[in-house]
Amino acid sequence: MILDLIQNSFDGLAMGASYALLAVGFTLVFGVLRRVNLSYGPAIMFGCYAATWVSFSFHSNIFLLLGIAVLGSVLAGTYVERLCFAPHHKGSAIAAMVASFALWMQFEEVVTLVMPKHLYDFPPMFDAEPLAIGPLSLRAEALVMLACALAICFALHRMLYRSRFGLALRAVTDAPVAAQLAGINVPRVLLLVFLLASAIGGLAGWLIVSTHTQVTPMLGMWSTLKGLLAMMIGGLGSLPGAVIGGLALGVLEAHSQWFLGPQARDLIAYLLLFVLLAWRPRWMTTSHG
Amino acid sequence: MTALLEVRDLVTAYGKIEALKGVNLDVQQGSITCLLGPNGAGKTTLMMTIAGILRPRIGSIRFAGEEIAGRPPHAIVAGGAALVPENRLVFPNMTVLDNLHAGAYQRKDDFASDIERLFTRFPRLKERSTQLAGTLSGGEQQMLAVARALMSRPKLLLMDEPSLGLAPLVVEEIFRIITQLHQDGVSIFLVEQNAHMALKVAQHFYLMEQGKVTFSGTPGALAEDEVIRRAYLGSARA
Ligand SMILES: Nc1ncnc2c1ncn2[C@@H]1O[C@H](COP(=O)(O)OP(=O)(O)O)[C@@H](O)[C@H]1O
Ligand SMILES: [Mg+2]
Repeated sequence: MILDLIQNSFDGLAMGASYALLAVGFTLVFGVLRRVNLSYGPAIMFGCYAATWVSFSFHSNIFLLLGIAVLGSVLAGTYVERLCFAPHHKGSAIAAMVASFALWMQFEEVVTLVMPKHLYDFPPMFDAEPLAIGPLSLRAEALVMLACALAICFALHRMLYRSRFGLALRAVTDAPVAAQLAGINVPRVLLLVFLLASAIGGLAGWLIVSTHTQVTPMLGMWSTLKGLLAMMIGGLGSLPGAVIGGLALGVLEAHSQWFLGPQARDLIAYLLLFVLLAWRPRWMTTSHG
Repeated sequence: MTALLEVRDLVTAYGKIEALKGVNLDVQQGSITCLLGPNGAGKTTLMMTIAGILRPRIGSIRFAGEEIAGRPPHAIVAGGAALVPENRLVFPNMTVLDNLHAGAYQRKDDFASDIERLFTRFPRLKERSTQLAGTLSGGEQQMLAVARALMSRPKLLLMDEPSLGLAPLVVEEIFRIITQLHQDGVSIFLVEQNAHMALKVAQHFYLMEQGKVTFSGTPGALAEDEVIRRAYLGSARA
């Protein structure tokens, strides 16, 4: 029992690490725009489908696939930014959200047009058997997920507090009009934030599909939901919160799957989203960072 | 003297409502020029239009000989005009020092000495350099907003009601800084509600009422109580 608990917690943390990455991407965009980009997940799905297509057509190396997934997500993310969120399309938050929903549908149409099967195999990261440490088993993918999340958090922190772009990003997040008056080219910062968020999302997508070794069009909605949920748990708009929210969501899912069966996994996520929306706890609306 | 800033027939609207209905005014090189007027006259709208945050519908803004109407704000800062906005608008969740760095965002040269100089001018900011700007008092935030604008080394400093909501002693300090900056060669275009203080430092002033300039002159040209009456209440015609 105790061993199961430890094993589940570890598996949950690893899955949570990829949720954390999804949430970090989501939060970066939400922080500067104060808008929810529903097409965040579908853009990631687009990148992962591009990688899947390459793997079927050229029988590819896993790192090349990572590159394709990131590149595809970035391209799709740029398309979303230009069409829905670029500052010359200023307007209501609702309009931007509806527009991002429309692009979601576009991405699903495009991938199902080119790859119409419901499910495609994706090459695994490693062929190796899980490492056995005593009674516990350790999947190499899990370690890669955790390492990637850690590396990205570290790099982001340095970027935010040590670089010129980081300064601009924090300024735009904190007070957009003041940032413009300080001479920061805000539209450019917004585009770059979108690219950065999409790249991180693409990495998260690759980690997830190469761990699950399959891709479906559901990946789009799934990524938006997990990213949004983890961001909400961590307090809207806080990057450290997004990481904690992602890890917490992963652990929660792993335990509820153990106790309540595999169907409970996503059910719990939807239930949590419902509870958070209805309850709207104080920490969710006040935190900054 | 030549005009550093020339505003001609400027119209800026929020939707269908025109807040500026054809504004004309000049700011002379090396002067302190003051804009007075009652609440809602359009003073902030004018400042935001000059700074590029709002786009004018019609009209021209020439700054240092170039047309800048409709340019994005960062281009206007690069051209040498910086706005200290109404209600200060510091970056509340960033440190005082980071606020100053943000003000120097466009500068490619070394600005460490500028920060040192500003810290001598505003010793309170030096004491609080690692504190978050949101934790400063109103007066300190105003000093920070001015210091941030100065980090871009502007030729023209636009100030929108810098004394708003501050204690009398702090207001005096703000005006002392304005005269010092002027002596250092910065041209200043100042929006004020505090007509008494403003008329003491300005070489030229404008009255604005309901989106139009209704008076232009030197501080002696109109009795102060008349200026104050119109600056606060608008003229009887209104
Ligand atoms: N964001 C806005 N949307 C619509 N109307 C506005 C907005 N800001 C200001 N106004 C209107 O424009 C007019 C001028 O406002 P403003 O420039 O703030 O005046 P002042 O700074 O002289 O007090 C006012 O009638 C005000 O109600
Ligand atoms: Mg005003």
